[in-house]
Amino acid sequence: MHGWKGRRLRLDLTNRTYEIEQLSVDYFKKWIGGRGFNSDVVYHETRQGMDPLDPDNPLCFGSGPLSGTFAPLSGRTTVSCRSPMTCSNMDTAIHGHGDTNMGGAFGPFMKYAGYDQIIVKGKADKPVWVFIDDGKISFRDASHLWGLGAKKATIKIQEELGDPDVKVSMIGPAGENLVRYACVLNNFSSSGGRTGMGCVMGSKNLKAIAVRGTKPITIARPEEFAKLAWALREKIHNSPSAIRRRAEGSMDLFDVGNAIGINAHRNVSTGFMPGIEEAYGGMQWAEQFLFRRKACWSCPVACGRYTLIKEGKYAGFSCGGPEMESLCNLGCRIDTYDIAAVNVLCGMVNDLGMDSVSAGAALSWTMEAFEKGYITEQDTGGIRLEWGDTETSMKVIEMIARRQGFGDLLAEGNIRVAEKLGIGQDIVPHCRGLEHISVDPRITMGFSLGYAMSTRGSDHLKNYSCVEFPGCAKSRSYQVEEIFGPEGAKKFWEDFPKELNELDTKPVLCAWSEKNKCVADLVSCCCQAIGSWGGAGTWQEAYYPLLIAATGIDLSPEEVFQSAERVVNIERAHWLRDGSGIQDDTHIDRYFDEGVHDGPFKGMVIDREKWAWAQQEYYKTHGWDELGFITEDKARELKIEDVLPDMECGKKIIRQWLDSDKKAVTPMFVPTGLKK
Amino acid sequence: MALKEERVIVIDPGKCAGCHSCEMACAMKHFGVCHPYYSRIRIQEFRNVNTFVPITCQACEDAACIKVCPMNARIRLGSGAVVTDEDKCIGCRACVYACPFGAPVIHPDTGKTMSCDLCMDDELGPWCVKACTMQQALKFVDVRDAARAKGRDFAAMLKEQHEPPHQEETEFSFSFSVE
Repeated sequence: MHGWKGRRLRLDLTNRTYEIEQLSVDYFKKWIGGRGFNSDVVYHETRQGMDPLDPDNPLCFGSGPLSGTFAPLSGRTTVSCRSPMTCSNMDTAIHGHGDTNMGGAFGPFMKYAGYDQIIVKGKADKPVWVFIDDGKISFRDASHLWGLGAKKATIKIQEELGDPDVKVSMIGPAGENLVRYACVLNNFSSSGGRTGMGCVMGSKNLKAIAVRGTKPITIARPEEFAKLAWALREKIHNSPSAIRRRAEGSMDLFDVGNAIGINAHRNVSTGFMPGIEEAYGGMQWAEQFLFRRKACWSCPVACGRYTLIKEGKYAGFSCGGPEMESLCNLGCRIDTYDIAAVNVLCGMVNDLGMDSVSAGAALSWTMEAFEKGYITEQDTGGIRLEWGDTETSMKVIEMIARRQGFGDLLAEGNIRVAEKLGIGQDIVPHCRGLEHISVDPRITMGFSLGYAMSTRGSDHLKNYSCVEFPGCAKSRSYQVEEIFGPEGAKKFWEDFPKELNELDTKPVLCAWSEKNKCVADLVSCCCQAIGSWGGAGTWQEAYYPLLIAATGIDLSPEEVFQSAERVVNIERAHWLRDGSGIQDDTHIDRYFDEGVHDGPFKGMVIDREKWAWAQQEYYKTHGWDELGFITEDKARELKIEDVLPDMECGKKIIRQWLDSDKKAVTPMFVPTGLKK
Repeated sequence: MALKEERVIVIDPGKCAGCHSCEMACAMKHFGVCHPYYSRIRIQEFRNVNTFVPITCQACEDAACIKVCPMNARIRLGSGAVVTDEDKCIGCRACVYACPFGAPVIHPDTGKTMSCDLCMDDELGPWCVKACTMQQALKFVDVRDAARAKGRDFAAMLKEQHEPPHQEETEFSFSFSVE
C-alpha cells in the first residue's frame, strides 16, 4: 500500500491491550483519511445519549494519505470523539460530534510507526502513558507526569526514552482535571484546542501518547509525486500571501479584521476594537516578541511563532505560540492592549492544556456578567474580573485548569456556567455550546452561517467561507464559478462587491466551503493554504494530484469531493441522532437584537426573516429536509444508509422538544412557528 | 594556487523553523520514499526552546572520514562532495565516529553510511536547499562566499552594538534614472 499505511491501532486502556486492524482499499476510497476515518469511527462507535466521558467513547487520532510525505503543508492531525464541550441548546446533557485539527508532527510519526489511525478506548485504573515504538506498544505508569504542564511532561518523556525525536501528544493539568475545553498538544505547543478532546483523554487517565516511527512512507509514483510537490512548493514560495504569513504569522489577519470591524471584542458583543492593528498587528508583534518561527512538519511557510518577551514586567518569559485566535481571544476579547500580558496568558493556557478560545470566552463572559451586574464577588469567591484585567485573568486561568474555587465552575464552559448560575444566558456567544471564535457573527454572514451549521459547534474551521471577503473573491475568482455555477457566478460578479452582511449567496457558499475545507482535513494538509491565504490555489490543483500520485488509486475529483460531503453528513448525522437540528443551527437572540457598537458596520444585526430563509436554503443545497435532517435520497447517494434509522430517532426527540413548552438553555432564535 | 570553484551548503540554525522539509526532499530525491532516516541531512531538534540545527556533510577540505575509512570507501567527487562508495563500504561506521559533526548517517536498510552528494546531477541543485527557499536556513554558495557572508553577518551584528543610540534618520533622495 502506498501513501497510506493500511493499518489502524486500537488501544484498550482498561485491559491494557491493543489490536491492529487492517484496512481495505475500499475503506480508504470511502473515507480517504484523517477526519474521514475519525468521523466514521466516532459516529459508528458511539450511541445516542452517550456520556462523552464514558470509557467507550473512542478518542481517535487520524492522519491522511499525504501526512508525513514530501507534500508541503502535510503535518496536520485530526483528533476526534464525542465532545464533552459541545451540547444542544435544548439540554446541555445532549452532546454531539467533536473534533479538532492540530499541527506539529504527531500524524506523520503515527504513519512512520505504521498506523493511519490510533483509537483509544477504555479507562486506565491509574494514570498511564502509552509508548508506541513501531510495532511494540507499552503502557507505562504516568504518576510522575500527572500534574505537569505540557513542556515539562514532554521533556520528561523524551528523557525517559533517551530520544529527543520522539513525538508526544499529551494533555496538561486542565485535561487531567476534566476541564471541558481541555486540549490535546503535541510538539510542546501545537495544540488541537477546540471541543475538549483533552478532557476525554483525561477521563481515560491517559496523560500522553509517545510515538517513534522508523518505517518510511512509500509513494506509488515517486517521480511524478516529487514533480507535483515541487510545483506546489514553488507556488507557495512565490505566493505573496504565503510570504506575508511567514513574516507576520496569522496575526496578519488583524488589520483586515479591524478594517471590516469584525474582531471579537468584549465577549463578542461590540464588534470593533479601535487601534487593534497597531497593538496586535503581525509586524509589531514580530518586532517585539518573535524569537524564532515554528513550523509544522513539511511546511515551508512556518506561520507558527515562538515568543520571547525581552523587556518589561514579564521579561524573560518564553513559550510556543501564540497565533491569531489565541491573541484575539485572550486579548481583544477581554479588551486589553497589553500584548506582553496576553502572550503570557497564551503561554499559560497552552502549558496548562486548554483551548485558548474557550478560555478567553470564560474570562470575557465573567467580565461582562460583572459589568452587567449579573454576578458579584459573592458568586466568585471574592474575585472580581473587570475588562482588561490581565493579572486577575492569569489567576483565574490557573484556577480553571486546577478546578479551584470559581475556576471549577468556569471549567464547565460558558453555557453550563450560565445555566448553573441561572443568569447571563443571554450573553453566552455560542452555537452548540461552543463559544464563537474571533469573528463577530453579525457582519460576515458566511462565517456566521458557518458557526451555526458547523458540525462541531461554533467555529469557522468547518465552513471556511473566505470567498465572502471581496479581497479573497478577487484573488480566487477562478473558484467563483465552481461554487455558484455559471449563472450564479454571473450574478455574483454583477453585484460585486456585495455587502458582507448579505445572506443571499451565503448558503451556497457555505455548503461548498464546508466540503472544500474538509478535503484538506481528509488528506491531512493545511486548510489555510486553500482557505485564508490561499497561496496553494484550489484543492483540485494543490492536493488532488498529490493524493493520486502518492496512493496510486483510481479516484476522480468528484469522488473525493463526495467523500468530503459524506464526512460532513456523517458528522451532521451524529448531531441529528441526538435530536440537534434546526433549533441549534442559529444564534442567540442578542445578535438579532443588539447592533454592533462601533466601526464600519455600526448598528448591524442579523435579520430574523433572512436567517430563517438562509437556513432552509442551506439545507436545500445539501439535500436535507426542512428540519435539517439527512434525507433517504442523500443517504443512499452517499452510501451511508445506516444513518437512516437514527434520523427517525432524532426526529422524535426534536419534535418532542418543539411541541413541548420546555425552554431552551440560552435564548436563541428559532424560526417562527416551529416552537410551541 | 588557483582559487577553488566549489559550492557548499551553508547552514544558519538561527533561521531554521524545524519543518523538516529538507529531510523529506532528500529522502524523496535519493530513495523515492518519505522518512527522515532516509535523508542525508538531519535536523537536530531542541524543540523545548524552539531551536533547530541542520546537520549535513560539510565536505571538509581535509576530511577525517576519508582518512579513517579502512576500505577507502569515502571518496571525493569532482564537485567537492564527499560520499560513500556503497560497493566498498563495509558499514563499520568509522567515518561516523571520526566526523566532528556526525554528518555521515546510516542507511536504515543496508547499514552502510551515506552523506550529502550535493544533488549535482540535478538541475534543481540540492533539493534540501531548494526546500528551504522561504526560511533560508540552508544556502548553496561558493566556498569563498561562505566565509565572506559569515564575516559580513558578524560585522553587521557588531555594527548594531557600536551604533550611536537614537540616531536621527536623515532622508536623502537619489535619482538613478538614465533619462
